[in-house]
Amino acid sequence: MTPTVSASGLSLRHGGTRALDDVSLRLSAGVTGLLGPNGAGKTTLLRVLATAVPADRGSFTVLGHDPGTSRGRQEVRRRLGYLPQTPGFHPDFTAFEFVDYVAILKELTDRAARHREVRGVLDEAGLGDVRGKRIRKLSGGMRQRVALAAALVGDPAFLVLDEPTVGLDPEQRMRFRELIARAGEGRTVLLSTHQTEDVAMLCHRVVVLADGTVRFDGTPAELTARAAGRVWSSDGRDPGAKAGWRTGLGTFRNVGDPPAGADLLEPTLEDGYLLTLDGAGAEVTA
Amino acid sequence: MSGGAVSAVLVRPVARTVPWRTIAVGGGLGLLLAAGPRMWGDGATDWLALTALRASAVAFALGAAFLLDDPARHTTAVVPTRRAVRHGLRLALVAPVAALWWTAALLLVPGSLRPPAADVTVEAATVLALALTGSAFAIRWGDGTRPGQAVAGFLLASAILAPLFSPGSWALFVTPDDPKWALSHDRWTLLLCAVLAVGAVCATERARRAGLRGLRSPSGTSGPSRA
Repeated sequence: MTPTVSASGLSLRHGGTRALDDVSLRLSAGVTGLLGPNGAGKTTLLRVLATAVPADRGSFTVLGHDPGTSRGRQEVRRRLGYLPQTPGFHPDFTAFEFVDYVAILKELTDRAARHREVRGVLDEAGLGDVRGKRIRKLSGGMRQRVALAAALVGDPAFLVLDEPTVGLDPEQRMRFRELIARAGEGRTVLLSTHQTEDVAMLCHRVVVLADGTVRFDGTPAELTARAAGRVWSSDGRDPGAKAGWRTGLGTFRNVGDPPAGADLLEPTLEDGYLLTLDGAGAEVTA
Repeated sequence: MSGGAVSAVLVRPVARTVPWRTIAVGGGLGLLLAAGPRMWGDGATDWLALTALRASAVAFALGAAFLLDDPARHTTAVVPTRRAVRHGLRLALVAPVAALWWTAALLLVPGSLRPPAADVTVEAATVLALALTGSAFAIRWGDGTRPGQAVAGFLLASAILAPLFSPGSWALFVTPDDPKWALSHDRWTLLLCAVLAVGAVCATERARRAGLRGLRSPSGTSGPSRA
């Protein structure tokens, strides 16, 4: 199957700091999760792949087009939806007006067809009832959904979502997961997140980025399997554990290299992620 | 897709993104300043009229510095309609307003005191172009959504300091009775052309990275992990 995105050796420096270092990856249809600690380079990678910033080195194609050329970049942008980490709006616009504005910027010029599509994506985002409300009067979660609707308008083949569930309450997060899961049907979605639960529930594939480099690229099950036999329960915090915390049951859940005879537990994706980061030399917090 | 078709449909929403209130405040203040010599009465001099018009142009430019502010910049960063089209539309919407406003400012100055209109218009156009190019530069090389405030601050400081500290040999701030007036306006015209050229460069988007990296902030809200 031809990948939607094929990137090779992407590198980018911010001043003296290496934000991306020789990143190569291929993305195809479905939801791919991008995990990593703060400053890992997730947003930078997303912005490069979304053609918002050019890389210093390396190359990539999206849907067969090279964004390094002006023409290629335009073609990519015609098939792209992007939800930035901190979406901004014209606050005096209504939700409908804003998404309609983005639809025009995506070259949907036929008024009737465009309005039909805008109503469609707003309904899909659960904003049908508030589409006439000014954005300044919407809650943070609703604004986030307006941004998602703006990303979805134009039926993009490649959807880039940068921490879309950050700052949302659990109910809103659940709603967002539904939206992203639906958006991932037949599309290529790249989802950056800190939430391993989001990845476990939504993604067919996960990429772990740390210090600007890819530390893991595989399925969520494979990432979880990295922690097989390395999670155990104990009555007190085990000093040999890489990370450990008291659970609601009063026992400690430890992740790392267990002592002989330890009471092993079923690992989660988060355990695999923590151990992957630890192997990368990144700080593991618990 | 025809760029013209998109531009035509974009006119209305783009008109709503223009900070008309800020521009109106700058323009209103500018008209007040331009009316100064008329309110002053018989004591007003040529120098006062010229200074009032120059201050008036700066006031309008301070408001116009906010023209390219775009809180939705990141949400609309990667659409196929180029940023230059959106910025061009904003400029096209404001240009007739600016022309009418400047005509009114000129007419507010009593005819007997009014400096040569074409020359002083070149000065005003240069100041306006500086404000807009400053904003375009900040957008081209930075990640901010609202460069207007910083650009307006820089412009105001420059407007105060340049007449005080620019070398006399540059002869940019002379009066119409000065023999260097014509030379001065050749220089203003050159400066205007240079500023417009920089503005045109800033209107393009980068496909490849180049210098001035130090002006860019990291992409995410969290900083890169290590040096």
